[in-house]
Amino acid sequence: MDLNVSPADVEFRDEVRTWLHEHGPAEPRPRGGRAMREFDVAWQRTQYDAGWAGINWPVEFGGRGLSLLQQVIWYEEYATLGLPGIDSCFVGNSHAGPTLISRGNEQQKSFHLPKILRGEVIWAQGFSEPEAGSDLASLQTRAEVDGDELVVTGQKVWTSYADLADWQELLVRTDRDAAKHKGITWVICDMRSPGVDVRPLQTMEGEHDFAEVFYDEVRIPLTNVVGAINDGWSVAMSTLSFERGTAFTASQTKLAETVEQLIELAHQRGIADDEVARNLATARAEVAALGAMTYAGVSRNLRQPEPGPEGSILKLFYAELSQRVYRLAMDVLGPEQLRLGAAGTHPDWHHDYLLSYSFSIGGGTSEIMRNIIGERVLGLPR
Amino acid sequence: MDLLPSAEQAEIAASIASFLGKELPMTRVRELGAQPSSRDAATWRTCAELGWFGLGLPEQAGGVGYGLAEEALLFREIGRFLAPGPFLATVLGARVAAAAGAHDLAAAIVAGSTVVGSAEADRSVAADSVLAADLDLYDAVDADLVLLATDAGAALYETSAFSNVVAHECIDPLTRVATARAEGVPAVVVVPSESEAVYRRGAVLVAAMACGLAEQARDLSAEHARTRVQFGKPIGVNQAVKHACTDMAVRAEAATCQTFYAALTLDGGSVDAPFHVASAKVVATNAATLNARAAVQVHGGMGFTWEHDAHLLVKRAHVVSVLFGDRREHLARLLALPPAQRGWA
Repeated sequence: MDLNVSPADVEFRDEVRTWLHEHGPAEPRPRGGRAMREFDVAWQRTQYDAGWAGINWPVEFGGRGLSLLQQVIWYEEYATLGLPGIDSCFVGNSHAGPTLISRGNEQQKSFHLPKILRGEVIWAQGFSEPEAGSDLASLQTRAEVDGDELVVTGQKVWTSYADLADWQELLVRTDRDAAKHKGITWVICDMRSPGVDVRPLQTMEGEHDFAEVFYDEVRIPLTNVVGAINDGWSVAMSTLSFERGTAFTASQTKLAETVEQLIELAHQRGIADDEVARNLATARAEVAALGAMTYAGVSRNLRQPEPGPEGSILKLFYAELSQRVYRLAMDVLGPEQLRLGAAGTHPDWHHDYLLSYSFSIGGGTSEIMRNIIGERVLGLPR
Repeated sequence: MDLLPSAEQAEIAASIASFLGKELPMTRVRELGAQPSSRDAATWRTCAELGWFGLGLPEQAGGVGYGLAEEALLFREIGRFLAPGPFLATVLGARVAAAAGAHDLAAAIVAGSTVVGSAEADRSVAADSVLAADLDLYDAVDADLVLLATDAGAALYETSAFSNVVAHECIDPLTRVATARAEGVPAVVVVPSESEAVYRRGAVLVAAMACGLAEQARDLSAEHARTRVQFGKPIGVNQAVKHACTDMAVRAEAATCQTFYAALTLDGGSVDAPFHVASAKVVATNAATLNARAAVQVHGGMGFTWEHDAHLLVKRAHVVSVLFGDRREHLARLLALPPAQRGWA
């Protein structure tokens, strides 16, 4: 155990901090729509041009080939400066990209990975269905092989940025007779294919980034299958393990900033309430622990590159801690919690408070995380 | 940057666990709990021979030369095995003696021949060269000296110099508690906090004990949930039980990560060390307290009996919560500190 940082890492952090300070977008990120997409991909492109995209991705696909620790350093500095969320570029950078690096073939990697890093494309997820939420493996969107194509018919739901996306990581059922985990395929879907119909959904914080996606005999080349036909479940689990590992470092760092903003706000309001004060102090301690858990995750990655079920512990802890922090923010706001708008140094407490309700649902509910931890970390029976 | 034990550190922890499992199984721990001093003299000598009391002292001071992280690994196992006795005050006492230049005393503590118990006082009390204060004494029954560690520094005093010593029954049957008065008691040795952050080291090591307790509660509960059959199935298939065990795993993970992080920042002299130490004490004792409570619940009626070990976890969790600053104190410290820097550089 050590906290020794190599001179290269110290220098890297300084470079990141300086560059982000000088080049981070000063103007606010447009909320939704094409304007947001243009903003996000332009910012991704700026990062790429300066050599900051795909920090721990292989050099041959446009990445920097640096360590996971350096990727974590980037996210920390990024979030500390309060730069715009990685939202619409998240699936490409932290979900589909790592999955392709791990499970894609050479042709898929060389075609897609550079486009993600250069900000040429937006990716969306296509896992959940109306009848397959927590029980993801019961998904029914059907794909039949017809010549050298898959023909897909069905429906996905909870797809963020579907209306803006170029590509989708899509889970389909390719064998209806096999056991439910054995008949699934992970395939790359071109969102502009004929037969794809995106219908936006409004979420409880009032935004329209969510959508349901309908597929009516959508034809996808078999060359878009990642892994093998009917082996999609293991590919999907690998995708989700990346998501539950260190992909949320920026969000976790942002939460640390949020707690500090909240303490500042409580000072401004002159709140001298023992319960609020202790809850704020506890939040500080727990956010510190969240950071330590992230570093432990990086350390584990050095011993075992494919993320394990321990990522679910981090995800669960983060989800519940965020919800406690934003609920506490409402207490600190007092009657002002009823009036939408900025308060103190945080741009939008209400938006983030409402959004935090999704953290224990998206990417696997906290109940499913608890099952995974119970069964795969503690060895409890199913 | 590596927050997980190295192969050598894992080996150290495993050998400590193996020793405690053999020397101090719960049957023996319970026997000790019924005796005037819960310290086992023979085991104490062996621990000294194994170098435990000088684990984190430099070799020229008679120690093994490891750091606070290795000491934390030791105390995590002491917490896990509910090992009774003034291990913590003795380890810190050796450090205070060595830092004060009292090399013979340090050597005697490291050798196990001089035993150090601990004292706690109101926060306004400083560990001065002459002490006048009301004290709470822990595991000081047969200790030669007691350690008082405060923000202003740390000192060792002769146990026999205190007056009005009154023994009390402790909520934890494995811990000895007494109240006493120090009326102008001269210190045997004193070190200012600038030279040795004894209070903070103590807080980290108590947090490490709390981590061991939290993990033991988790492991006993998971084992019970895997093997106890009701309604024809192991009770762990029920999410109410499974998720209770899972929450124990999450709290134990948060506690151990933060505690070792705090140990490394304190050992490395980071400006953020006070912040991370207070965080570790809060998160780890919270984990010990909640996990112990959940362990009683998961074990049902058996968990409520004296015969089962779950209540000993509950009671020891109270001890680690109080020693080296309780929750309220560390929360107050946390709010008064500047925020930690992100990153460790």
